[in-house]
Amino acid sequence: MSESAGHALPPSAPEPATLPGRSLVVCAVIGAALMAAVDEIVFHQILAWHHFFDRSTPAVGLVSDGLLHTAELLGLVAGFVLYADLRRRDALAPAHAWAGLFLGLGGFQLFDGIVDHKVLRLHQVRYGVDLLVYDLVWNGAALALLAVGIVLAVRARRRASS
Amino acid sequence: MVIAATALLAAAAYLAGGTRLRLRGDAWPRWRDACFTAGCAVLAYALLGPLPGGPFTAHMAQHLVMAMIAPVLVVLARPLTLLLRVLPVRPRRTLLAVAHSAPATVLVFPPLAAVLDLGGLWLLYRTSLFASLHHQPLLHAAVHTHVVVSGLLFTFAVCQLDPVRHRWNLTWRATALLAAGTAHAVLAKALYATPPPGTAFTTTDLHTGAQLMYYGGDLVELALAAIIAVQWYTTTGRARTRRLSRVPG
Repeated sequence: MSESAGHALPPSAPEPATLPGRSLVVCAVIGAALMAAVDEIVFHQILAWHHFFDRSTPAVGLVSDGLLHTAELLGLVAGFVLYADLRRRDALAPAHAWAGLFLGLGGFQLFDGIVDHKVLRLHQVRYGVDLLVYDLVWNGAALALLAVGIVLAVRARRRASS
Repeated sequence: MVIAATALLAAAAYLAGGTRLRLRGDAWPRWRDACFTAGCAVLAYALLGPLPGGPFTAHMAQHLVMAMIAPVLVVLARPLTLLLRVLPVRPRRTLLAVAHSAPATVLVFPPLAAVLDLGGLWLLYRTSLFASLHHQPLLHAAVHTHVVVSGLLFTFAVCQLDPVRHRWNLTWRATALLAAGTAHAVLAKALYATPPPGTAFTTTDLHTGAQLMYYGGDLVELALAAIIAVQWYTTTGRARTRRLSRVPG
């Protein structure tokens, strides 16, 4: 890369070719943070289905929501800078990265649908409607994304080992 | 008034310092001048100018600017570095001694800075302090000063762009930012549900103010996270270049 200033990387360079595990984790962080951003922008702001604050939220839910919300923001920044670092080091494993992205998207969606909406009762998907359908679609979409992630991860691992 | 005047004086002093460095032939990026001036200008505007919305929303907009936006702009401009470079030898030694003193080292410990900043906010909005501000101008001025100073301290501690004796590592700074962001978000949602004790704002005003606090806080947290991330990226980049150039080839 350019900053190595003319020092061509010899075959015995200390850095491994790609870092599949790191690629997967970094992209999973980006995926989770992106899904959180979609949730915030689409469902809270544009559709206004979710409520900013649902009065049935217990204190523990409020704290967990604050923590998760801040972690998403920091995760978004950290994910992108770590991704840039992988690219800079030529260490990105694309197949694992895609798998990680889908696992992150689905994982966050499922966590939001089960823990935030149901266990902690932060808010519901939508108000004044039959919730069951919305919950099923929400969590179904999460499972579908997770399934895509798992298939991609298995394929990436198989391809890497062959 | 005093804070606004101090801010404008600081901006003038900063510009003079930057110009002096450049006339001397030293490099001092102009965007830093712009950042510092903008930081001081928004701070002065927040204190003197008209603000939007109902009383609580206007108050929240003012605090957002004073405690979060202005400090980020000021800290990005590395005022301490500039001071150390333009001051004559004797005052420079004194300033360096202060910057390297034990109290300064303790104060810029990121978790402590976070507690001082967010702890003050919780006291302000969750005790009768907020209600009593209206009758006590001195107390009001003290709270304003605390908001600005603790905001600057927290931003300074988390970003660590200026030279101090002890450089707290990334984990401390990121954890402090995470904890402070959480406390900020929880406080904003708590305010949405219940106003500060002893006050009566309209529901719309309260809700707008609380959401402004929540989402405004998000934007500033993103900016702080980006500053830390870029710092990490450049530092690791330099370390990598050094490592690669040592590889025999």
